[in-house]
Amino acid sequence: MEAFLQALAAGLLIGAVYGLMCVGLGLIFGVMRVINFAHGDFMMLGMYTAFYLFTAAGIQALFGNAVGPFVAILLAGPMLAIFGYFVHLTLISHVSGTRTASLEGEGHYAQLILTLGIALILQNGGLLIFGSVLASIRTPLSSSAWELALSQDISVFLNKARGIDAIVSLVIMTLLSLLITRSRIGKSLRAAADNPTAATYMGIDVDRAHRVAFALGSGITAIAGGLLATNYPFHPFVGLEYVIVMYAGVVLGGMGSIIGAFWGGMTIGLVQQMSTLILPTQLQNAAIFVVFLLIIFFRPQGFFGRMVERT
Amino acid sequence: MLRIEGLSAGYSAKPVLNDVSIRVDAGQFVAIVGPNGAGKTTLFKTISGILQPNGGRIMFGDADLLAVPPAQRPHLGIAHVPEGRQVFPSLTVMENLEMGALTESGRRDWKQNIERIFEWLPVLAERRAQFAGTLSGGQQQMLAIGRGLASSPKLLMLDEPSMGLAPSTADFIFDRLIDIRRQSGLTMLLVEQRVAEALESADHGYVLEAGRVVLEGSNEALRADDRVRKAYLGM
Repeated sequence: MEAFLQALAAGLLIGAVYGLMCVGLGLIFGVMRVINFAHGDFMMLGMYTAFYLFTAAGIQALFGNAVGPFVAILLAGPMLAIFGYFVHLTLISHVSGTRTASLEGEGHYAQLILTLGIALILQNGGLLIFGSVLASIRTPLSSSAWELALSQDISVFLNKARGIDAIVSLVIMTLLSLLITRSRIGKSLRAAADNPTAATYMGIDVDRAHRVAFALGSGITAIAGGLLATNYPFHPFVGLEYVIVMYAGVVLGGMGSIIGAFWGGMTIGLVQQMSTLILPTQLQNAAIFVVFLLIIFFRPQGFFGRMVERT
Repeated sequence: MLRIEGLSAGYSAKPVLNDVSIRVDAGQFVAIVGPNGAGKTTLFKTISGILQPNGGRIMFGDADLLAVPPAQRPHLGIAHVPEGRQVFPSLTVMENLEMGALTESGRRDWKQNIERIFEWLPVLAERRAQFAGTLSGGQQQMLAIGRGLASSPKLLMLDEPSMGLAPSTADFIFDRLIDIRRQSGLTMLLVEQRVAEALESADHGYVLEAGRVVLEGSNEALRADDRVRKAYLGM
């Protein structure tokens, strides 16, 4: 019983961060319909950006070891958003959005090769610049825990760093869903996703909407990456490990559903942690995909898949 | 208000429009009628900028429309109610209307516009919180029209508002359009296959066949024309 609750708690905490990571990708896919293979590597860049902001840019000295990492992580988000903005402006926009109407397969082949290429450049460029030594954003919070006494003999331990990671994720997720559902920009993004042609008739610059979505998605995933980096060491090829999980989360949530991607990521976090109760840890990822296949078997459109036909 | 001169357009090598000239004056209700494949929708797409023409000019007021990027054209005062409605299915009715009001004039007049739209098309008020994708075809068409009106346009372009609707629903929509026109004095450009209804609603008409304007005139003149009577009105 205690082990079960412990795994459940760990799953919820990591699931919130996975959820945020998936939402970044889900936003880009949902609005642009572009499969971005480089998204894991954008996250890797976010991890290193947070790492260097923390260690080299003086944030550690200024804010200390407890608050410092989170300041660095939150700053890495906007920086990666700006990076994503320019990657879209200079590269992605040439093979997506309104320019693709005349391309074969709506430019999907070109998008595939381009984002794979960006991924390779980022991975190997990362190896060149950051080196192959494992890095991590160390905070004393990673090795201390809150004890949650549920009854006299059952208590659950919550890792402090992961607890704060989850809270940060939930706050950002709440802000994002307010932005998407309430604000004029968010509604324009959804309109551009629903029907780019009709959105143009409304006076929405669809390519600009895509750029905003790409920047926002990059920044959000960068923050999620930074949060993960407080507990997991990383290296320039770490994106490969996560990008599969990201796509699984987006598909589980329902392709095109931005909020759904969060619950997809949450599910993956829960399955990953709960599976350790009955399976050896090496099979964590196998368990994720068995559950993934089961869910997709019974609900192919994902949790929040759109039943309404896209026109 | 809108002057199209010698317009030619088409998809890749296949020309669809051939030297088309059309004029819409302020306050006019102009209908462009013609059979399937005559190039009516292509004409609208060219006006909205989704399609680049091969030749000709489009003037809107004093502005050379072809020099204006597509997403800027609605801000000049052109509202396009597209063929097949094309509402945003995952947005609510209200959010769809808000998307119509993204233009400066739409934001400024939002309060009075929404009141009038709900008055003309009360079903939108009833269903304001519903997702547009769950509306019936006729309701979606009314939403598309309401969305167009929400921008406070100078020119409302309607592409086959009767398409795929039951005859009674189509009649209802034509009645609404006539009411809206009478009460607001809005300039309208309508493209239709239902020639009889279109010519009845409008005060000036063009007949488009195989990408060319073959006939032009006031609605009385067109309805009295032998060719129109034989080919389109079944008389």
